[in-house]
Amino acid sequence: MKRGGLQNYIIRRLLYAFLIAFGVVTITFILLRIGPSSPADKYLANMSARTQDPAKVIAAVEARYGLDKPIYEQYFNYLVNLARGDWGWSFSTSLPVIELIKRHWIYSFQLILLSMLFASSLGLLIGIYSAVKQYTKVDYIATLFSFTGISIPNFWLGIMLIMVFSVWLGWFKTYYDTGLPVFSLANLKALILPVITLGTGMMAGHTRYARSATLDNLRKDFVKTARAKGLPEYIVIGKHVLRNAILPIITIIMFDMAGVVFGGAYLTEIIFGIPGLGQISFNAIFANDYPVVITITLIGAMVVLLTNLATDIVYTWLDPRIRYD
Amino acid sequence: MNNTILQVSELKTYFFTRIGVVKAVDGVSFGLRKGECLCLVGESGCGKTATALSILRLVDSPPGRIVGGEIQYHAEDLLRSPVSRLRRIRGNRIAMIFQDPQSSLNPVFTVGDQIMEPIRLHMKLGRRQARDRALHLMEQVGIPQAKERMKYYPHQFSGGMKQRVMIAAALSCDPEILIADEPTTALDTTIKAQILDIFRDLKQKKDMSILFITHDLGTVAGIADRIIVMYGGRIAEAGSVLDIFDQPKHPYTRGLLNCLPAISERREKLSPIPGVIPSLIDPPEGCIFYPRCQQRMPVCQQKRPEEFVISGKHIAACYLYA
Amino acid sequence: MRRTGGIFGGRRNLIFSGLMLVLLFIFLLDLFVVDRIFEPFTYFYLFFAPLIIFYGVYPLYANRRLTRYYWDRTKRHRLAVIGLGFIIFLVAVAILGPFLTQDPTQVDFKNKNLPPVGFSSEQSIFDRNTGQLITTETQGTWRHPFGTDDKGRDLLAMLVSGTRISLQIGLMATLIAIFIGLIIGVVSAYLGGWVDNALMRFTDIMMTFPFFLLLVLIVFLYGSSLWFIILVIGLTGWTGTARLVRSETLSLRTRDFIMASKSLGASDRRIVFRHLIPNVMSLVIVIATLSIPGVILAEAALSFIGLGDPTVTSWGLVLHAGQRSLDTAWWIAVEPGIMLFLTVLAFNFLGDGIRDAFDPRSQI
Repeated sequence: MKRGGLQNYIIRRLLYAFLIAFGVVTITFILLRIGPSSPADKYLANMSARTQDPAKVIAAVEARYGLDKPIYEQYFNYLVNLARGDWGWSFSTSLPVIELIKRHWIYSFQLILLSMLFASSLGLLIGIYSAVKQYTKVDYIATLFSFTGISIPNFWLGIMLIMVFSVWLGWFKTYYDTGLPVFSLANLKALILPVITLGTGMMAGHTRYARSATLDNLRKDFVKTARAKGLPEYIVIGKHVLRNAILPIITIIMFDMAGVVFGGAYLTEIIFGIPGLGQISFNAIFANDYPVVITITLIGAMVVLLTNLATDIVYTWLDPRIRYD
Repeated sequence: MNNTILQVSELKTYFFTRIGVVKAVDGVSFGLRKGECLCLVGESGCGKTATALSILRLVDSPPGRIVGGEIQYHAEDLLRSPVSRLRRIRGNRIAMIFQDPQSSLNPVFTVGDQIMEPIRLHMKLGRRQARDRALHLMEQVGIPQAKERMKYYPHQFSGGMKQRVMIAAALSCDPEILIADEPTTALDTTIKAQILDIFRDLKQKKDMSILFITHDLGTVAGIADRIIVMYGGRIAEAGSVLDIFDQPKHPYTRGLLNCLPAISERREKLSPIPGVIPSLIDPPEGCIFYPRCQQRMPVCQQKRPEEFVISGKHIAACYLYA
Repeated sequence: MRRTGGIFGGRRNLIFSGLMLVLLFIFLLDLFVVDRIFEPFTYFYLFFAPLIIFYGVYPLYANRRLTRYYWDRTKRHRLAVIGLGFIIFLVAVAILGPFLTQDPTQVDFKNKNLPPVGFSSEQSIFDRNTGQLITTETQGTWRHPFGTDDKGRDLLAMLVSGTRISLQIGLMATLIAIFIGLIIGVVSAYLGGWVDNALMRFTDIMMTFPFFLLLVLIVFLYGSSLWFIILVIGLTGWTGTARLVRSETLSLRTRDFIMASKSLGASDRRIVFRHLIPNVMSLVIVIATLSIPGVILAEAALSFIGLGDPTVTSWGLVLHAGQRSLDTAWWIAVEPGIMLFLTVLAFNFLGDGIRDAFDPRSQI
């Protein structure tokens, strides 16, 4: 209907997203630079410890990165650079931050993408099936399974998988091989354990949501109408029920996706040694490499904001009742 | 009578809930003849909806289950035929309309889609032909600008228009029998009259058999040929419109009629039936209406009254007529 | 609503404020005059215990009939009862356990890497006499029923200590988060206008932060003592509560009984304390139960990546150590994980049951 309305809505939301992202950057900047031990100071201390003339080195480095200027000016400069697309310089890896991100995002992306596929496809199937078979043995088993999956700490699951399949059985390497080309069968095999680690909890969550969303709609009057029309059960469930149940399920899947990027994926990358953004930010924090930390925090925030927006837009496609004008 | 096309005999539909077995339909028998409009009347919870759903075996299971009886349709027992066979009857030979058009239409599909669904399924028509037919049906039930409105979603329609859409979908395959479960209850009075007109038209022009379910005797008067009054999952009284309105026999029927505001006669106040509908879990031994009945007798408490013939097709399940 | 009179009379707020003033006085004394009257933990307890008793337990007691009704509904969920049983067991272990087990930090290299009772493991030991590695078979003993780690510390004692840590964190961080969320939510909904706007924009920003990254960052920069971790989790974890409480309050505000109360001339303060907070309390209890596992997991993950409090033996820390000896001593990594899993499972079971009891509409 009113496409223009939707466009305006998206623009408004994007502007708001920028505002929020600005808030996130500011708070991160404050946390990093005005603490009892700012990472920059720590970094400088490390630098100076290795040279004969600490004062000179510190002065040189400070001048180079603008650390000698007052803090508000640094903040202002940082924002201006950020807007220009200059995301700063990573101290610990001696690379521009943007270059670092370019090299490593793909590892996070493939892990998250595969895990989401694994989690939502299986989760949806089990959830819907168990709703249709409510109060049967299958349903109870699925419910118990989803409780288990939700409660299992994923970092522990990862370790257990490594212990059983890599250490005892020797089926997989204990560490992710970075030499593998990104889209290859060998790489897929290397990602099996990480994907199970990251995906199990999500799958259990999706199972629960899919089950309850399906149950909510199974009792609706329009399902009775569909049956009264003589439609076979697979169309009744697959078309009439699912099309309505998919809305809340999409919300949870998108929400998971936003949350998992720097939550579960973070730990999974560390356990398996996958050099994705989680691993990078982890190392950056420990190396006092604050430009990398701010950038990755910002990326995390943008992922959340954009998935939220994407969810809303997908909603307008799937639910004709929702219009943003 | 040989033109009975649907014969329900001793139908029993129970709901097995946490607190006990609800005997929603407990031994109901009636026949539906070709081209007649049969009305099932009763208060909410008397089992009329469960009866209607049982005919097409649409009772939610669990908790509901049809535990006994027979439903003969063209020498075939619907309660015992395989589901695949039943599916070919549902929406095709026997169609059904529900109470609340608001929730009975799927909110995420266009109304055109929902009307075309049974056409494509049962008549095996292509997309274009199905659309033409749907268009024709929508015009027939009085939806203006049908061509444009086919692409609308249910929420863009008013309640009355939605019910017209439901009727169009039900009529899509020219069914022999139309079951309408309180089709006018959720509608305004003026809209109600318009919808009733559609039903009257169907009966006269298409010779369709209609099983019309309502709690409102007023609605019934203008459309019904015969009336069955249900109470507590059983038939209280059955007869022609004249039988029921002019010579109501069962105390419950009389009670119902006394609740009806009549325009012709001036009455000071309407008299409601005292008491509430009994729980259908563990109903009393005898007549279910006993606690509320003003003409109760000792015998009523002992045994469930059978259906006593008053005259011809007029029957009443009451010991007053034993 | 029934008036909650009874043993405290109407002076509940007065008594509570008095207690809080005394606590504040002690705290100020602690800060400026005397050194360390109480541990930071003690302050937590001294603040939250009266709060819970006066505004959590007491209303439940005063409304016994309602409490009974909720309990009966919760009881219908067998899993919830099992979960509650396990949580009670954990609390008992956390309180009594440390008196019954040995010191979890006591090192004993002679008995290192002992497997749990009923298991045996092969170990390579450097033989001083021959200068060779010999393989010996070690059996688990009843002295260390859960085995020992690579420094010979008793795993049972470590797990018991971990139970105490995890429950403390779960309880306190959740209390802080809920407390902040409740206040922000109610204030935001009730005052509306620019206050609501500002608070909700701030909530949006906090929600947008990659939570775990923020946690790691703050703990790395500002220190990793246990009470600080609790504080940080509490201070960052209130956003969901604030939002839910706000929307619940907004919907309550338009309900008839609040309108009725307003039309009778009740003051804002009275409406907030007498009607709004008691009515969002059921929601708060549900959120609290369901957010405890997340908090416990967050701390465990933090310890697991080496950022936990190194002075206390938590499950995450044991797991962190166990990760290095997967091939020689599997039980070190397995046991704390199982404890963590069971604890989280128990809270999820209970939370699910309570939610169903409080809100029959929700199915999730």
